[in-house]
Amino acid sequence: MRKLLSNPLVLIGFIIIASVLLLAVIAPLVAPYDPDAIDVKAILLSPSSIHLMGTDGLGRDVFSRMLYGARISLMVGFVAVGIATAIGIVLGAIAGFYRGWVDTLIMRIVDVMLSIPTFFLILAVIAFLTPSIWNIMIVIGLTSWMGVTRLVRAEFLSLRNREFVLAAQALGAKDVRLIFTHLLPNSLTPIIVSSILGIASAVLVESGLSFLGLGVQAPQASWGNILTDGKEYIQFAWWLSLFPGLAILITVLGYNLLGDGLREAYNPRSSQH
Amino acid sequence: MMQIKHNQLVKLGFIKLAIIALFAPFMIAACSDSSSSNQINNKIDYTKNYPPSNGGTLIDAMTGEPSSLIAMIAGESAASAIAGNIFNSLLKYDKNLELTGELVESWDVSSDQKTITFHLKTNLKWADNQPLTSDDVLFTWQKVTDEKTRTPYGSDFKLVTKAETPDANTFRVTYAAPYAPALDTWAGLHILPKHLLKDQDINTTAFARNPVGSHYYKLEKWKNGQFLKLTRNENATQGQAKIDNLLSRIIPDKAAQFLELSADNIDSMGLNPIQYARIFPARPDLNKNIALYKELGNSYTYLGFNLKRKPFDDIRVRQAINYAINKQEIIDGVLLGLGEPVASPYKPGTRWSNPDLKPYPYDPNKARALLKAAGYEDHDGDGILDKDGKPFTFEILTNQNKEREMTGVLIQRRLNEIGIKANIRVLEWASFLGRFIKPKEFDVVVLGWSLSLDPDQYSIWHSSQQAPGQFNFISYSNPRVDKLLEAGRLELNPDKRMKIYHEFSKILLEDSPIVFLSAGYGLTAIHKRVRGISNPAPPAGIGHNTYEWYIPSAYARNEMSEH
Repeated sequence: MRKLLSNPLVLIGFIIIASVLLLAVIAPLVAPYDPDAIDVKAILLSPSSIHLMGTDGLGRDVFSRMLYGARISLMVGFVAVGIATAIGIVLGAIAGFYRGWVDTLIMRIVDVMLSIPTFFLILAVIAFLTPSIWNIMIVIGLTSWMGVTRLVRAEFLSLRNREFVLAAQALGAKDVRLIFTHLLPNSLTPIIVSSILGIASAVLVESGLSFLGLGVQAPQASWGNILTDGKEYIQFAWWLSLFPGLAILITVLGYNLLGDGLREAYNPRSSQH
Repeated sequence: MMQIKHNQLVKLGFIKLAIIALFAPFMIAACSDSSSSNQINNKIDYTKNYPPSNGGTLIDAMTGEPSSLIAMIAGESAASAIAGNIFNSLLKYDKNLELTGELVESWDVSSDQKTITFHLKTNLKWADNQPLTSDDVLFTWQKVTDEKTRTPYGSDFKLVTKAETPDANTFRVTYAAPYAPALDTWAGLHILPKHLLKDQDINTTAFARNPVGSHYYKLEKWKNGQFLKLTRNENATQGQAKIDNLLSRIIPDKAAQFLELSADNIDSMGLNPIQYARIFPARPDLNKNIALYKELGNSYTYLGFNLKRKPFDDIRVRQAINYAINKQEIIDGVLLGLGEPVASPYKPGTRWSNPDLKPYPYDPNKARALLKAAGYEDHDGDGILDKDGKPFTFEILTNQNKEREMTGVLIQRRLNEIGIKANIRVLEWASFLGRFIKPKEFDVVVLGWSLSLDPDQYSIWHSSQQAPGQFNFISYSNPRVDKLLEAGRLELNPDKRMKIYHEFSKILLEDSPIVFLSAGYGLTAIHKRVRGISNPAPPAGIGHNTYEWYIPSAYARNEMSEH
């Protein structure tokens, strides 16, 4: 861990993510206003000591909305990646462990899924479902498991014939035991790295969907829909576009720094001494 | 000019573009401001007076491109806006919204009120020098009522049982029963030239992109996705317009239109409330060159209940929700004060609008009392009203329209205060209509109605108009309203008709099948080089006399640079 954090980029990424998470968790304590409190007499006020990030078109405090929006954006990231990782581990493990026609079948499904542009697939699915935060998490999860599947399969293929696995098998260990106690723990690192990078892209997808009006629905705040609201006022209410844009940028950057740093640190070719 | 402009734009705007694109990819068009022409024009003094003169080009912007210039086929507003400068109707509305002749000198209504005889002006000509006669009118009527013509406007004209042309200047129609909106329908039908269309399929004819009309202008050039250029018709039936050319540029994004206006690349555009109330006051450089016009628009926003669903079949629930909504707050917050409350489906201040009616005041206590009378109370103490163990919660549906969405949020909050939990769902227009409105799969909608000038609203409120795809999708059914709407169609006397519709509006307000929310102002910006505009606008709006608008030659653009 210490070695990890000695890399300045990882440290920055870690600090960014930790503080965003902290702010999201304690949002109700720090938020100066109710994020949905409308005040038509205080429309589009510029940032000041009363409203740190100004107010939006309905007089709502942007800072409070950003804090609550962080909860939504991050929750979408975690849950979606959780779903994707779970599916990816199961399918990747089956494919990599059993090989043969099961492997071929699963990998062809992966190829088919990868051949469809994910964002448009999500758009099409969301257009048929009610756009809600839960649907978005599920849909993002169900359309982004392919990378993890490939990763897990590749790890399993390479670990499958290693001595410790063959030894366990020779001792009579069942498939389930082999997979969960011998193979999976040894492939965790790449899974974690890809999950962290996956969160970054899930945050971006959620922002994109909300920006197009198909994501989190009003009046609930998410960074994406604060940004959309701001689009109309960009010529004179810059704070409505700047803050959510920056928040998305910094958070995604944070996850990427952390993920890349982890990958570097645990790369077997660079760290096996 | 467009070519050169484009290159400049790339250079000047690049740094700005890079910054903006980071946060709002949709604003890419934003880089076209600060062109050099702006600087030059800032030095021109637009306060001098000049007498009316001919010449010049008026450039405006429109968000959509017409699909065809035959209005009965196209059906969209972009098409009627352009086609209205090319084609004439038999009748028109004058600046006070009274019917008057356009192609006709006069018209008579028979004593049984079933037959209307139109007397055409003499020596009318099409732009291609062919005579315009009653034969053309008959031909147009045949086309609009032809089953093979794909038009949504046929039903009014199918009520005509007999159409005849006793001579070249007379056109006579007979209805089975008196039909009061008849004259209004003839004021909306563009007369088409028979000699060019008689052997053509009107749905697919090339005439739709190369029309020959009889009004002030004729189409000179149509460049797909870019502009339509109209030029003065020397054979115009209504005299000569002062401005030589009308150029309509197609710019889908309002923000991009605004930047074109600031850069003096267009002369006029419709503004949204933010541009009007927030951006303009902060830009003295724009105010120097551009005049703003404000007039009450022809539409209103409403909250409509699905009357087939419980509990919206209960008048007390509908009235309670009406009392619970603060309409002034919506006008202030969403329209930035640029609108008026409405209490009837007629434009305030017109003959048909009943001046005695007032919107439901904001009164949450009365709303609570009405809901209590309807059986809704908070029995389980969770802050949400309930009845028979079920909480009072429903979904507010609207389409992707920022103003309607904000309206929904304001309503949601007010309803929440009296213990009703409403969720908002915003949908794209096609699926909104197809999956929710047509099969009537909704609780409550926030939508708008545009108003015609005739008071007949049979298709919106009559109980017979509830089939999928018809306009009474809220399933409103009231025998008294049905009777009044039927009577209103048969009554040709304007004063008696007015009484009928005033009574109808009164019942409608009390019944509250919809909550009237607001009527927004139409906001227009026009460059000060354009003169002859009536301000304040008469009832028909500032556009009523565009043919009298003029651009003094001292202010004209450099015509050489146009293309």
